[in-house]
Amino acid sequence: MNGIVIPFTPNDSPIVGRDRPRLDSTAKVTGRAIYTVDIEKPGMLHAKVLRSPHAHARILSIDASAARSLAGVTAVVTREEIHGLHSYGTYVKDQPIVATDAVRYVGDVVAAVAAVDERTAVAALDLIRVEYEPLPAVFDSTAALDLSAPAIFPDQPFAAYPEYGDGASGAAHTAHNVSYEFRYETGEESIWADCDYIFEDTFTFSRMNHMHLEPFATVAEATATEIEVWTSTQSPFPMRKELARVFGLAENDIRVNVPLLGGGFGAKNGPKTEAIAIRLSQLSDGRPVRYCMSTEEVFLTLSQHDAILTVKSGLKADGEFMARKSRVLLNGGAYADASPLVAEKAGYRMPGAYRWKRIDSVCQAVITNTVPAGAYRGFGATQATWASERQVDLIAERLGFDPLELRLKNAKELGEEFVPGETPIDSDLKLGLNLVADAIGYRDRPRSGNRGMGVAIGIKDGGGVNKPAQARVKVTTNGDVFLNCGLVEMGQGGHSALCQIVAETLACDPKRVKYAAIDTDNTPFDQGTNASSGIAVMGHAVLQAAERVRSSVLDMAAEHLLLDRQSIRLDNWHIVGADGTTYELPPLIMDRFGGTGFEFTADGYFKVRSSSSAPLEAPCMFWEIGWAAAEVDVDPETGRVEILQLVVSGDAGKVVNKLGCRGQDEGAAVFGLAQALFEELRYDDGELLNGEALLYRVPLAEDIPRRFSSITQEQGHGAGPFGTKGMGEGGMLPIAPAIAQAIADATGAQLTSLPMTPERVYNGIRAARARQGRAHRNA
Amino acid sequence: MSLESPESSQETFTHKVEFELNGSPERHSVPTSTTVLDLLRNSCSKQGVRASCERSVCGACTVLVDDLPVAACSTFAFDIDGARVETVEGLAAQDGTLSAQQQAFRECGGFQCGFCTSGMLMVTTALLRQNPQPDREEIRDWISSNTCRCTGYEMILESVERAAELAGAKQQDQAPE
Repeated sequence: MNGIVIPFTPNDSPIVGRDRPRLDSTAKVTGRAIYTVDIEKPGMLHAKVLRSPHAHARILSIDASAARSLAGVTAVVTREEIHGLHSYGTYVKDQPIVATDAVRYVGDVVAAVAAVDERTAVAALDLIRVEYEPLPAVFDSTAALDLSAPAIFPDQPFAAYPEYGDGASGAAHTAHNVSYEFRYETGEESIWADCDYIFEDTFTFSRMNHMHLEPFATVAEATATEIEVWTSTQSPFPMRKELARVFGLAENDIRVNVPLLGGGFGAKNGPKTEAIAIRLSQLSDGRPVRYCMSTEEVFLTLSQHDAILTVKSGLKADGEFMARKSRVLLNGGAYADASPLVAEKAGYRMPGAYRWKRIDSVCQAVITNTVPAGAYRGFGATQATWASERQVDLIAERLGFDPLELRLKNAKELGEEFVPGETPIDSDLKLGLNLVADAIGYRDRPRSGNRGMGVAIGIKDGGGVNKPAQARVKVTTNGDVFLNCGLVEMGQGGHSALCQIVAETLACDPKRVKYAAIDTDNTPFDQGTNASSGIAVMGHAVLQAAERVRSSVLDMAAEHLLLDRQSIRLDNWHIVGADGTTYELPPLIMDRFGGTGFEFTADGYFKVRSSSSAPLEAPCMFWEIGWAAAEVDVDPETGRVEILQLVVSGDAGKVVNKLGCRGQDEGAAVFGLAQALFEELRYDDGELLNGEALLYRVPLAEDIPRRFSSITQEQGHGAGPFGTKGMGEGGMLPIAPAIAQAIADATGAQLTSLPMTPERVYNGIRAARARQGRAHRNA
Repeated sequence: MSLESPESSQETFTHKVEFELNGSPERHSVPTSTTVLDLLRNSCSKQGVRASCERSVCGACTVLVDDLPVAACSTFAFDIDGARVETVEGLAAQDGTLSAQQQAFRECGGFQCGFCTSGMLMVTTALLRQNPQPDREEIRDWISSNTCRCTGYEMILESVERAAELAGAKQQDQAPE
C-alpha cells in the first residue's frame, strides 16, 4: 500500500489494539477446542430424520409401527407425537417440529427416530410408511404471488411483529403467499417531478448456502417438565424463549448450553436440531439424544434469500440523486424463519450510501416450496447493495459519468442522517472510497485491452434493533478474572476481544481473563450474537461490568489502607498509591474478609434507547460500511473473469484485535467474491441440484486473487467502547457490485444477475457489442 | 455425522487393525465399513480430527498416513493397518510446546472458528516435510485441498509461510555447530 494514508487513531492503550493471538488460539491449534459435535453423554442415543421427497404434498397417513418395534429404537416422532406443541419462527410462527398437515419442500422433516446408534436410526427410517397426495408446487417468488399459484399455507399461521417508528410499517400475510411485508417511506412524492432523468432497472440476486463446517447439532436431555440442551446456536436466550414457547414450559425449566461454534454466518440463530432432539429425549425416558445433521441435511435446512429487486431512481441532469423507489421480492422458501427480519433490512437499506430526497421502499418475503431462507451474513444488505450499487453504475454509463465520481458526488457526509430519526453516518464514506480506489490505482488505470476496474460501497445499520446485553465480571482473591456473558464464539474472535476489554479495564494480563462457559441458567441475559453487535453492544455491557468491579476493588482498598480513593489505581492486581507505593491485593483481601478469600463481582448492561421517530424502533448502534475496489481481466471469447486485484476495507472505529478485524473483513469479502462469480444453490423445477459438498462450490485458496488485501480503517467515530464499531458483514456487501463494474469497465457488459458466470459474462459482452453496433449505425 | 458406537451393527466381519498413532501403538478390531474418522474419533478419543462434509471434499478430517495427508472420512480403517498415522494431537511436544505450524497459525491468526484448523495444520505438516521452503504458489496448491469458510485464506497462506520460517529457524538452532 504505497503512499496511502490509512485513517487510524493513535494507540496509547496497553492491550486493546494489540496484534496479539486470540485467547482460543491454543485450544484450536491443538485440537482441544470443544464444539457441540464433540459433546457426549453417558447412554446417549442418536437421532435421524425422515425427509419429504415431495416439494408439496398433503400427508394422508404415516405408519411408523415397524420402525417403533425395531430393536435399538427408543422413540419415533411423527405428527402424532407433537400434539399440543407450538410451531416456531421469527415473527411468523409457521414451522412445526415435524410436518403436520403437509410437506412444503423437498427435505421437509416428516418423522424422527432415536436409536442406540445412527445406523439403527437410519434403518428405522426405512420402515416408516408415509402416504402422500402430491399438490401443485411453486418455486419462484414472482410465480408464488400469482393468485393461481397454490396457497402454501391455506390457514395463516400465528404472527406477531413490532410497532415501527416514523415512516416504516410491517405486516404479515399481506398478499398471496407473502409471509411478511415491510415498507418504508420518507420525503415528498412530488420530488419525482423535479427529476431530469428517471431510470428503472431490475436485478436478481442468487441464493447461497452458509456451509459452516460444523453442521447443526444438539444433544438434548429432556423430560416433560425439564429440558437441557447443548447446542450450536448463535442465540442462547432467544433459543430458550422459543423452546419454552414450543414446549409450553417456563423459561427456568429450560437450560441452553453453548460450546464453541464451527461457523455460523447467521444460520445458527433459530431452532434447527433442538426441538427434534428434545422431543425424542422426552419420549426416550429422558435419555440424552444427539441429533447431528449431515452436510446434505444442512443444505436442506436453511439458505440465503434469492431476490428480485426493481429499482427506480430519479436524478438531476448534473447527476444529483433525487428520489428512489424500490420493490424487493425475497424468496423465503417454505417457512418464514428469519424472513421478516431480512425483509425489514432489505427494504430499509435500499437507499444505500447515498442522499435521496424521497425514498419509497417495499419488500415482500414470499413463501415458496424451496428450502427455507433465513439470516445470512449481511442479510438484506447484500441483496440491497447489489441492486443499489449496480444501478449507480448503469446510470453512470447512461449519463456518461465516471462511476466513482458519481458515487463521491452523492455519498452522504460523515454525520449526515441516513433517514430521519436514524443515527448519523459515523464513517467518512468518501475517504474510504478514495482509499480503496487509490489502492488499486483506479484513477490511473490503463483503458486498453480487456481489463477494467470497479468500486462500490456497502452500508448497513449495525448492532441490531432492540438488543439488550448484560455482562458480569468477577475477580477472585488472587486476581483471576471470569467474564460471564452470552456472546457466542463462532469464529469472529468475540470472546477474545471482550476479554481484552476486561483486561484493559482491570489493568491485568489478558491471560488472567477467562470467558466463562455459556449456559442460560448462569450467564447474564443477551439477545443473541448477530448483526456484528458483539464488540459495540455487548462491549459496553462488559466494559461497564469491568469498571464497576475495578471501582469496588479500589473502594475496598482505599478504605482498608486509609488512602485517598481518587489517588490510587489498579495495576496487575496491585494497588498503586499516589507516591508509587504498591500493595499486593491478595493478602489485603484475605485480611479484610477474615482469611476466607472473596470474589469481587459486578454486572453491566447496555441497550440503545428506543425511539418512536427511529423507523426500526431504535436508532442503530453504528453504521457498518464495506468499501471495495476490484480489477479484472475478462476473456471475451469465453466470458471467464480473472480477478487481478481485490481490495476490501472496513472501518473498525477503533481496533481491539488487529488479527480479528482483518480476518472478519477478508473472510466476508471471500463470501462476496464467491457469490459474485460462482457460488449458488442451483434449482431445476424445485429440485436442489447441488445440495452437497461435492457439487456445491465454495471458494478455495486457489480462488483467491493473487493481489487480495484488506485495509482496516480506524476512523474513530464508533459508538462502542473505545470508539469501536462492529465488523464481519460489511466486507461482504460491496464485493459483487465492485466486480460487476470492473467487468463493465473492461467489456461494456452490464450484468444484473448473480453469479456472474462465464456464460452470463459472454452473453453480456455480446449484448454490449450489439448495443454499441446499433449506436454506431444510428450515429 | 459420525459419532456412533457400532453396538447394533449387523456386520460380523471384522478386521484387526494395528497402526502407530502419534508414535504409540494402537490395536483395534473393526467392522469393514469403519472409516479412519470413526476409529480415531470414537475409539482413539482423537476429537481434534473434525468431521464435516464426510465426502473427502472439505478436508476438515485430514490426518497424515505415512506422512501423506488423507481424508479420514473416506479412508477405511482396514487401510491403515501397519501405517504410521498422525493427528493434530501429535503435533505439540510432550511438554505441550507447540510445533512451528501451531505457533505460526496462532501468531498469524490462521483460523477463526477453528473447525478447519486441524486439517489445515496436517496439510501444512505434510507440505513442510516434502518441501521445507515452499513458495506461495505451492502453499496455495496444497491448502486448496481444504475448505476454510471464515478467514478468506490470506491469513492461512501467511501462517504456512511463517510455519516454514519458524521450522527453519528451529532446525538451525538444533543443527550441530
